[in-house]
Amino acid sequence: MMRKRAVSLLLAGVMTLGLAAGGLTGCGSSGNDGAEKVRLMVWSPSEDQSKDSGEWLQTCCEAFADAHPEWDITFVYGVMDEASAGEQVAQDPDASADVFMYANNSLEPMRNADALVRFGGKYRKQIEATNSQDVLDTLIMDDNLYGIPFTTNLWYMYYDKSVFSEKDIKNLDTMLEKGVVSFPFVNSWYLPAFYIGNGCTLFGEDGKDEAAGVDFGGENAVEVTNYLIDLAQNPNFKIDDLGSGIAGFRDGSINAMFSGSWDSNAVKEALGDNMGVAALPTYTLNGEEKQMYAYAGTKAIGVNTHSDYMVQAIELAIWLGNAESQRLHYELRQVVPCNTELLQEEDIQKDELVMAQNTTFSDTSIIQPLVNQMNNCWTPVENMGKGIRNGSVTHENAQEQTEQMNEAMNSDGIS
Amino acid sequence: MTGKKIHSAKKRRFINNTIVHTVLAVLAVIWVFPIVWVILTSFRAEKGSYVSTFLPQSYTLDNYIRLFTDTSILNFPQMFMNTLFIAICSCILSTFYVLAASYCLSRLRFKLRKPYMNMAMILGLFPGFMSMIAVYFILKAIGLTEGNLIKLALIMVYSGGAALGFQIAKGFFDTIPLAVDEAALIDGCTRWQIFTKITLPLSKPIVVYTVLTSFMGPWLDFIFAKVICRANSDQYTIAIGLWRMLEKEYIDSWYTCFAAGAVLISIPIAALFLYMQRYYVDGLSGAVKG
Repeated sequence: MMRKRAVSLLLAGVMTLGLAAGGLTGCGSSGNDGAEKVRLMVWSPSEDQSKDSGEWLQTCCEAFADAHPEWDITFVYGVMDEASAGEQVAQDPDASADVFMYANNSLEPMRNADALVRFGGKYRKQIEATNSQDVLDTLIMDDNLYGIPFTTNLWYMYYDKSVFSEKDIKNLDTMLEKGVVSFPFVNSWYLPAFYIGNGCTLFGEDGKDEAAGVDFGGENAVEVTNYLIDLAQNPNFKIDDLGSGIAGFRDGSINAMFSGSWDSNAVKEALGDNMGVAALPTYTLNGEEKQMYAYAGTKAIGVNTHSDYMVQAIELAIWLGNAESQRLHYELRQVVPCNTELLQEEDIQKDELVMAQNTTFSDTSIIQPLVNQMNNCWTPVENMGKGIRNGSVTHENAQEQTEQMNEAMNSDGIS
Repeated sequence: MTGKKIHSAKKRRFINNTIVHTVLAVLAVIWVFPIVWVILTSFRAEKGSYVSTFLPQSYTLDNYIRLFTDTSILNFPQMFMNTLFIAICSCILSTFYVLAASYCLSRLRFKLRKPYMNMAMILGLFPGFMSMIAVYFILKAIGLTEGNLIKLALIMVYSGGAALGFQIAKGFFDTIPLAVDEAALIDGCTRWQIFTKITLPLSKPIVVYTVLTSFMGPWLDFIFAKVICRANSDQYTIAIGLWRMLEKEYIDSWYTCFAAGAVLISIPIAALFLYMQRYYVDGLSGAVKG
């Protein structure tokens, strides 16, 4: 009893304090020279705010404040990486940032929570003018645009230039003859690349038709499964799991691996000048060359529908996504830009990593479907990879196992 | 004849002991294996999360140094202090709650005693994180999810439900003879005095146990800290920090530091245990005359 009373007293005390504090700030006089007082909360990954990597976010936000003397802006910075932002904002939009960065695969939960501002009118025109349609498509749902893209998010190929020539890297099987290749075989973000290459589809042509379902079955998919079984047994092929690929680069036992920009510094350190980056190769299936296709997404800047300062928040989001901010992001943190004007500039054209990432995006990738059903597509593919690795999927049961995978991908898991 | 028998019995015992000790040694190695591996990894000089050899090729202290000096992205010292503060406060509070509740249920008789114990039992059947989102929204409604108040919020979350875990301490108190209490009452002790001057000194092992468990809960908790901290990186606890080190962007460069952090978080618990260990033995010795 005592305790209960103590706690409720404490709570009451805290509440009064909170109210008092709120009241006090509410009564504060309104700024210098009649400038409108604005409080904007901004979320970004911690590297964007750390001194060691140049405080990109602070620099850009201050430049924004300087460009808008009519607003007296107080910035509140929070740390939230793009991958978790979607979930956090969807969970409680009210207590989330006004402007935040998110990975486009969390678009759907945030849309369901009605937390994302739709960009329209002059803002949309402005965004459309400086981004390719492919990139914008990753942020468009039912014709509404939900964010300002600032980088693409996908994987491609790192290789050792002393082992493979420019010609070799066009085809995976040629590469396997000359050196050791590692691929995240048991990771379902990577493995579908082979299936999609041989005509398997996810949710219709554009990946937005939930009713169309997944087509990872049929003769073409079985062919791929058979190819993968042989691939896994190739002595020059190593399965990349738990960081074994990058470790292999370090000790020289692996000559090519598949990953994204997050590993570029480690690869650079391991290979030095021999580091090569390229779009995905083709693979040879029954004598025919098939292109591998990665799942592609983007990272974007979004605005919270619950923001108290809507105009300022949207203006800031546009600012953070413009060419200058993207250039600074690239210079400070090697974040690959996607602004079409910026990509035309000479020094960026010369950067292999930028070019590989963008070529992969435009030529050897499909947009990772955003529909809810996509959630059922990860585990079955992962199990297929694991089954091939541990030998439970063989040429004899490949047909049956592939059909099972397809069935699992098309069911909602509750049957 | 008899001498031979003794000899063979001795021999048999020797063989038995050898077998038992070999089995125990093998099991001990298996159990300690992962811990040894984490400690070795924390001193490993090679980077990355994957290595092809079991023993590191070269050793270094850099992982520990980096943990405390490279604070721009993951501020480990701050997380450590946050967690220590939260854990100490909630340890004191919940130890008090648990012991006080146990004492009341063991010694006092009141109408709600039985219903309370039943209710506690049933509530205890539900996992704590079931109410996680609800707890978050309640804390948000009273304004405890911003800035330093997050610490207060976490302390409340960790210690608030402590009194439901009275069972073990109550069981221990029940074993202390009621006669001791009655004697004290006759001599003019209040209930509070009986609790602090008689029951507690007689129950040192259970006090130690309660302190240890109520320190470890908040010290190691991840799920509530993650839900309540959100984007306030200055309030992060160690568990969140360690988890972040394993994300795909950081794992390659931070993995060995992660192992170092994992070793470090065991230090306060070990220290607390070593300090309190001697009270384990004391217990009832010499207090109750036969």
